[in-house]
Amino acid sequence: MANRDPQKTDVLQGTLDLMVLQTLATMGPLHGYAIAARLEQVSSRSLQLNMGTLYPGLMRLEQRGFVRGKWGMTENNRRARFYEITATGRRQLSAERAEWDRTVSIMNALLNETR
Amino acid sequence: MNPMRSIATLREWAHRLAGTIGRGRTDRDLEEELRFHLDLTAEEALRGGTSAEGAGRAATLEAGGLSQSVEALRDQRGLRWIADFVQDLRYAARTLRRSPGFSAVAVLLLALGIGANAAIFTLINAIMLRTLPVPEPGRLVQIARLLDGRPGVVSYPLFRYFHDNIRSIASAFAQVTSNLLVAIDGDEDFVTAEYVSGSHALVLGIAPAAGRLLSPSDDEPNATAVVVITDRYWSRRFGRSAAVLGKMMTVRDRPFTIVGVTPAAYQSARAGSAPDILLPLSAMMTPQQRQSSDFNFLNMLARLKPGATVDDVNAEAQVLFASFVQAQANALSEKERAAVLRQRAVVLPAPDGFNPIRDTIAMPLLLLMGIVGLILLLACVNLSGLLLARAPARSREVAIRLAIGAGRGRLVRQLLTESLVLASAGGGAGLGLAAWFSGKLFSVFVDGRDVVLPIGPDWRVVAFTLAVSVAASCTAGLAPALHAVRTNVNPALTGTGTARRRRLSESVVVAQIAVSMVLLVSAALFVGTLLKLQAADRGFTSDGLLVVGLRSSRPYPPARIAPVRDAILGTLRSLPGVQSASAAQLLPVSGLLWDRRVAVEGYSFGPGESETVGFNAIAPGYFATLATPVVEGREFTDRDTGASPRVAVVNESFARHFFSGGSALGKRVTSVDVTYEIVGVVGDAKYQRLRDSVIETLYIPWTQRPGEQPTIFNYIVRVTGGDPMRLAPLLDRAVRNADSGLHVRAAIAYDTIIDRSISTERIMAALGGMFGALALLVAGVGIFGVLAFQVARRTHELGVRMALGATRTNLMQCVLRDVLWMLGLGLPLGALGAFGATGLAGTLVFGMTAHDPRVFIVAALIMSAGALVAAWVPARRASRIDPIAALRHE
Repeated sequence: MANRDPQKTDVLQGTLDLMVLQTLATMGPLHGYAIAARLEQVSSRSLQLNMGTLYPGLMRLEQRGFVRGKWGMTENNRRARFYEITATGRRQLSAERAEWDRTVSIMNALLNETR
Repeated sequence: MNPMRSIATLREWAHRLAGTIGRGRTDRDLEEELRFHLDLTAEEALRGGTSAEGAGRAATLEAGGLSQSVEALRDQRGLRWIADFVQDLRYAARTLRRSPGFSAVAVLLLALGIGANAAIFTLINAIMLRTLPVPEPGRLVQIARLLDGRPGVVSYPLFRYFHDNIRSIASAFAQVTSNLLVAIDGDEDFVTAEYVSGSHALVLGIAPAAGRLLSPSDDEPNATAVVVITDRYWSRRFGRSAAVLGKMMTVRDRPFTIVGVTPAAYQSARAGSAPDILLPLSAMMTPQQRQSSDFNFLNMLARLKPGATVDDVNAEAQVLFASFVQAQANALSEKERAAVLRQRAVVLPAPDGFNPIRDTIAMPLLLLMGIVGLILLLACVNLSGLLLARAPARSREVAIRLAIGAGRGRLVRQLLTESLVLASAGGGAGLGLAAWFSGKLFSVFVDGRDVVLPIGPDWRVVAFTLAVSVAASCTAGLAPALHAVRTNVNPALTGTGTARRRRLSESVVVAQIAVSMVLLVSAALFVGTLLKLQAADRGFTSDGLLVVGLRSSRPYPPARIAPVRDAILGTLRSLPGVQSASAAQLLPVSGLLWDRRVAVEGYSFGPGESETVGFNAIAPGYFATLATPVVEGREFTDRDTGASPRVAVVNESFARHFFSGGSALGKRVTSVDVTYEIVGVVGDAKYQRLRDSVIETLYIPWTQRPGEQPTIFNYIVRVTGGDPMRLAPLLDRAVRNADSGLHVRAAIAYDTIIDRSISTERIMAALGGMFGALALLVAGVGIFGVLAFQVARRTHELGVRMALGATRTNLMQCVLRDVLWMLGLGLPLGALGAFGATGLAGTLVFGMTAHDPRVFIVAALIMSAGALVAAWVPARRASRIDPIAALRHE
């Protein structure tokens, strides 16, 4: 029951889902480490996901039917679990994206006005 | 919320639920995925130029995160609280199996407590909560006259008047129940008949199982005489034969055709009555019943029109009733008018029909509910004590778990789960106990009354039992659980620190004493009430009296009535062992009252004074048979006939009230245009109930009874020596000698009638006493347990005291002092609670008040005696401590 910071997880949760889905949509099937590496790279190392956040998040996406996980082989012939976005996941992605855009434009308008 | 997301959420929960029961990914699968991640992290660190050592450290650091991550994944895989709960259940079951003695006692305690609650609730449910098995019972209303604040019966003209004129009701029917002797194919059979008006099936919304039900056309004056039988009677008498339709049934010498069968679920609108046949009311009424607005004998039930409310009906009924009684009053003398105009109508929601049982036993049932609630509380408190006593055994386990980082909330939940397991087992056993006990209890409650009710547990009873079980587990388990986790890790591990537990156990005992005191006070009240009732002066001797009810299969022509009655009395008197025999329309303590308005010579009533007195028609030798003293004058003889001058006998209350001091003999009393001369004064007797006071009563000879004949008389027989019931088998043949059509409806010892008249009081005394004794026992065991434990713990201290010169008496006192202060705290607390609670029993108490100090003193004495007996053994053990052994023990 320890090691849980609900506030932090909650803030991350929505955006994490969006980031993971977007990554999988553009890059194709990836394993967890590759997803984390990709996010780290895109954010210029400012976003470092720890395992305890990433993998439960992936499991939740899988339980919700947005991604599908499958064991497979890497180029180096090592067993890894690969995640692939599903059709439902793509629909969810575009919906969440639209919502994100709307939120951003609202925030922009607000912040620019008060400035 | 958008639908896609909510579907996704549902899917997530479905997966997690599946994961909870082991249907998700395995732990190994999760770990393998994480390990792959770690491996890549370490390699990356190496590649990035970190030394192998640094990479190893990074991996170790991350490995610390590994188990946490697996844990986080597990949480996401399943539903944590369910998984925890299942785990707790398993653990609790294991723990309890390890101490079977404790578990058995705990389950027994809870089964008794929960079972008693479920049993009483089953009755409350059956009697007060169930509705009639008809469509939309919530739209049924009872229309009645208000009698002593309760809905009463109406007359046939009033029923017709309401039926034809109230616009907000769709329809209405009238109903009355009666016992009949009918004949089918020449075989006679006693049946319970329900007389209903034509709209009966319409209002209730019921359909026949076969044939047809009664309809409004059966109310027509020249309708063919038909009868509908109930499903019950169809099974009992006809074996469910289809050939029953069209059969003839002879009722009061008239042929009725059986035209239909009610549905199996049919239940009379009068709760508790289980009719065999349904007869058209209009075919069964006498001319007087049909025409008189004073003859109130019908229950009236209506169904609301769509959109109408009870208030609508009530508003209409009030206006209509006002004009009805006005018309009635116009035909009366000035004096009688006021009483008629005082009547009020009332309209009540009646989803359960007419429920006279609810009115009579609702109060005792609610009181019993309170009593068994206290019993359960006591059981819980006692279980708390037991759990606390186990605390030392458990405290090491708890301390270890706390020390390795278990959350206190989590531990409390786990300990509560243990009580929940106990309570569930107790609740299950209690439900079984309740099914048996409620049946038994109900049969005692309705003892002698002809009442049939479906008393099965239904979903409400199960839900109630469940709720009570959960509440009980929390009540019993919370304090010990909180106590357990407040344990300081250190002293518990090293085995010290018990003062707080001692205080807590002692408070538990104080609570038990207080609750027991409340129960003992109520026990004393109810037992006292019963004793006083049994000792109350009835004005006659029931011992050795037999009461015989007779029925004839056919009505007698008026000329036959008197000779048959005389023949019956003659036959009864000639039976061996019979000292005397007589008859009366009403018997003492029968619960019935026949009252009539009178005018008494030389007495004028005050303005607010009731002009009615009790009335009774009796046979010669009545007072001799009852052993009621004739104070003055004579009682009726065979010479008081229909042709002789009208005479009356009055009771002492009558004489005292109307002729204060002077002799009643020779005075005249007039009632309904007949004037009687008083020829005798007899001792008072109670007619309605033992607890009622005597009312002024006027007796007339049965030969001079005005009004319609025949009236059903009760025959009484005084039998010399032994059980009067030994005559019962002889009666049926004997009365057939008097007339071939006669049958014995019932032969009961008078004592049985009296017992039945106080069945509620007997139940309250028996159950109150039983629960009181149980409370005493439970509290006693609690006191014993706590003291024995303390003496064992203080062995060393007591040994030192003895070594320093304390006498054995000193040591005993030392232990007994503990009991005294617990009593000193518990008794006043309990008395205070009882003082507040017993007020509720006010109407059930007789011969004392609910706050009678004697009751409280008796209860306190019993409780103290019980507590001292329980303390005696530990106290003796304390006084027998061998100082040398005690000191060496340390």
